[in-house]
Amino acid sequence: MIRGTVFDIQRFSVHDGPGIRSTVFLKGCSLRCFWCHNPEGIRPQPEIQFEPDKCIGCGECVVVCPQGAQHLDGTRRIFERDRCDACGQCVETCYAGALSLVGRAMAVEDVLAEVMQDRPFYDSSGGGVTLSGGEPVLQTGFARALLARLQAGGVHTAIETAGYYPWERLETLLPHIDLVMMDLKQMDSARHRAATGAPNERILETARRLAQTAIPVIFRVPVIPTVNDTPGAIRAIAAFVGELSALRGAALPLELLPFHRLAESKYTSLGREYAARSLPASVENFAELQTVVQEYGF
Amino acid sequence: MAVSTLTYGQRLDALRAAKLEQTREKQEVLGAMDHDDWAVVLPPPELREVIDAISGSGEPITDCIFKGWHPQSNHPSGGFFGPRAVGDNYRDFLEHHPVYIDPNSSLAGAYMFNFMSYRKPYWNPDFDYSHLQPDQEKYQLIHGIGGSQHFCQDLQIGLDLGWQGLLEKIRHYRKLNYPHGHDFYHGIGSVVHGVQDWIRRHADAARAMAGEETNPALRQNLEEIAAMNAHLVTEPPRTFREACQWILWYQMVARMFNGSGSLGQLDVLLAPYYERDTAAGLLTDEEAIFHIACLLLRDTAYIQLGGPDADGRDVTNHVSYLVLEAGHRLGIPANIGVSVGEGIDPGLLERGVEIIVGDRHGYPKFLGSDHVVAGTVRNGVPLEAARQRTYSGCHWSAIPGREYGLMDIVKINFGAVFNVALRDMLAGERAPHTLAALWESFVHHLARAVAVVAEGLDVHMAHMHEVFPELVLDLCCHGPIEKGLDASHGGVEFYLLGVDGAALATVADSFAAIEQRVVREGRLTWEDLLRHLDADWAGPDGEKARLMMSSVPRFGHGNTPADDYARRISEAFSALVTAKPTPAGFRMVPGLFSWALTIAMGSRLGATPNGRRAGEPISHGANPHPGFRKDGAPTALAVAVAAVQPGYGNTAPLQIDLEPSIASDEAARSQIASLIRTHFDLGGTQINMNVLDTQKLLEAYEDPSKYPDLVVRVTGFSAYFSSLSPEFRKMVVDRVLAAESA
Repeated sequence: MIRGTVFDIQRFSVHDGPGIRSTVFLKGCSLRCFWCHNPEGIRPQPEIQFEPDKCIGCGECVVVCPQGAQHLDGTRRIFERDRCDACGQCVETCYAGALSLVGRAMAVEDVLAEVMQDRPFYDSSGGGVTLSGGEPVLQTGFARALLARLQAGGVHTAIETAGYYPWERLETLLPHIDLVMMDLKQMDSARHRAATGAPNERILETARRLAQTAIPVIFRVPVIPTVNDTPGAIRAIAAFVGELSALRGAALPLELLPFHRLAESKYTSLGREYAARSLPASVENFAELQTVVQEYGF
Repeated sequence: MAVSTLTYGQRLDALRAAKLEQTREKQEVLGAMDHDDWAVVLPPPELREVIDAISGSGEPITDCIFKGWHPQSNHPSGGFFGPRAVGDNYRDFLEHHPVYIDPNSSLAGAYMFNFMSYRKPYWNPDFDYSHLQPDQEKYQLIHGIGGSQHFCQDLQIGLDLGWQGLLEKIRHYRKLNYPHGHDFYHGIGSVVHGVQDWIRRHADAARAMAGEETNPALRQNLEEIAAMNAHLVTEPPRTFREACQWILWYQMVARMFNGSGSLGQLDVLLAPYYERDTAAGLLTDEEAIFHIACLLLRDTAYIQLGGPDADGRDVTNHVSYLVLEAGHRLGIPANIGVSVGEGIDPGLLERGVEIIVGDRHGYPKFLGSDHVVAGTVRNGVPLEAARQRTYSGCHWSAIPGREYGLMDIVKINFGAVFNVALRDMLAGERAPHTLAALWESFVHHLARAVAVVAEGLDVHMAHMHEVFPELVLDLCCHGPIEKGLDASHGGVEFYLLGVDGAALATVADSFAAIEQRVVREGRLTWEDLLRHLDADWAGPDGEKARLMMSSVPRFGHGNTPADDYARRISEAFSALVTAKPTPAGFRMVPGLFSWALTIAMGSRLGATPNGRRAGEPISHGANPHPGFRKDGAPTALAVAVAAVQPGYGNTAPLQIDLEPSIASDEAARSQIASLIRTHFDLGGTQINMNVLDTQKLLEAYEDPSKYPDLVVRVTGFSAYFSSLSPEFRKMVVDRVLAAESA
């Protein structure tokens, strides 16, 4: 039985594709974007989230941790993340909800049981189920099994992807996907690498190949200060999508997504550094950048 | 002001500003008002006396009564009872009620006092039910004895006859039935005399004010008011404006008498006048909207737009949209529901969603016609009548003029029943204790609670007519005048007595918490649990136990044991309520609603196993507890509440609070419309919705005076946020915050 590592299922998603949708978030990503809004989706393995503000100092986790990673020194709580192997026993004893496990193994049936509850809403609103993450394409076998089952059940399927993997992985999923939403971040490969940890050639290749299929695609640009928030950077992406539209023989949509810093607390709870801390809280010239996109006819 | 003309827009602005000022003054004088914004206007200062009273729904309120006016007692207790005393006292009350005319309004009148606040004592002590009191207290029952109004009149009767016509009808049947109903006819006739006097004094005052008025537009308005009301003292209305004025008089008289807020299908009632007047070139849409707005300004009546007629055809018409527009332009608390269902104009839903998202006043509400009708039929009501069941109260419908229901009064707090059941089971000899035994004990005690309610209802039905008869609603019902019988005593055709359950989620979550922590995981013994409950979770051990119990997956999450328990509890409750009639033969109809008593019922309830502390609010209506899902998904909420519908035509409303960012564009509005439609397809019966800017709400919470015009749908009713007590504001804020996505 195929299991996937899922870190969240969000019902009533209205920004992840058309209609009312549920979004299934798969854990693990092949990029390391420094501003990531879902840092709990980066690493493929389950991991512990610790929110010290919720801790009531009961000490149960200290007693139960097989690795001795939890400590209570008076009222001070210490979590030695290096010792932790995410077995989750501390989570079971933490009723205050200060410790939680992000990412759990789910069978396709488990995911379906959750998302099919909203089937009547998908039907009445033209919605469906979206796979996201992390990078959902990386859990190729699980994603394929889940998408196939949804499709067989008459549910509209969508996927949000960054495109950084061998084409064959995505290709095997395409027969079961109704809509692809793909991120494009930077046309300059060196700048792309500095921001995301990887050059962009393979990503652009994925985009080209997608353009040459018949599958509905929406290209989206997360607009990030210092990365791509200039008219020049946006223009370059718009020109690229223009080329892809020519390849497709039809106009392909391009949307801009504004950056936010709401994810900051997630980094803290995961014991990660929030590299985007020094960035402004929002993109001030967002309207100007949207005009650039509109000039290209998007 | 030297302007020679005033637009309707300007007049409406002035009226709205006056209302805000009146509201501010009410807040100062009365303090918190945790109920409908009743549109009551404070009397001149020399006529004010602030007291503690009981509302029409049986709950304590602070009220302003008529200084210097007192009813005549006809009973050693100091109270007044029976149709003669009630009718004569109300006539006197009306004859002393001040005149109120705002020259900007096209309609005269405002009401200033609640006659109910003089009902002391509330119930005639001669009609003793003390044998029921031990069980009523044991289960913390809101038993409804002495409950008033909460059914709907048929305004068409009054619109056809006019006040003199009603008086003649009374005289006719009084003679026919003599001597039966002697006191009843006297009392109901007194009411009409009082109303006529009140209207006549407004006509006279308007004429006098016109003589003094310098602004030509306002002078003309006052002259029209004078002429119109001179006519309406006796005659039926002839025009759209007169119909609005007639309805307003009736509404205010009904509201003052005992808090009745039912109006019914305003779009159907006004349509003939609209058609005649527009065909004759006497009325424009702008004028019609203005008149409706003036009506809505003076009473927050419960109105249904659209919906099926007796033959199943949708009644939506142009006036339906004019009413929606009037409410939209006013932006004040309003209780107007838009019908949604098979064959009903989808434009109503579309416009309703547009307004609620754009205006953010929790207006309108959405009514699931199909399942209200289908459920009503299961009580043995013929389909034609069931289709005419009209939304006319917080969470309820009634067949206009033909049904008596005591809706939204009787409440059974499942939490109180549960706490009794738990202790009873644990005190019993059998051990080890099991969930099955707990469930059995719960159902046993729930059955007992329903039986006690039933006996209480019989006391009410036997005596209410001689305590405080429904003299005003009787005027516009089919049967009471003809038979000489109060609506509460056989005057109408259908008797469907509403019995609501509350604290569903509180109890469902409690069962689930026990199942997981005590039975399956063995982390807590039954005795430990009882100890913690009795101690209200005191101590570090207690807090740990409380968190452990409250972290079990909750009703609303979907596919959890708590979800199963919620369904089982609702089904068991419906089965018990409908299994048999009261001993005297009255049919009871189950609903799930806590109204505004979420806080009051919680304050009397001890700690519960779901981790709730003693005195904290119970769960709201049929809704899951806030925080039932990390994503707070509206679809999960909609699925959960649809799954626990009682199924007999009385509602279990879905209370839903959405952030505007969800609805910032056309696609999102269409999704909200899908959410509403699908909830009703799944069995839902009513939706009370807020689209709220959380930031604004939080700022208003810190300082209510910052947004004096912020209106929220608290539960079935809407109110100014600044009029609510801190506890009520907290309840709304907690609910909205918990609904925000993680």
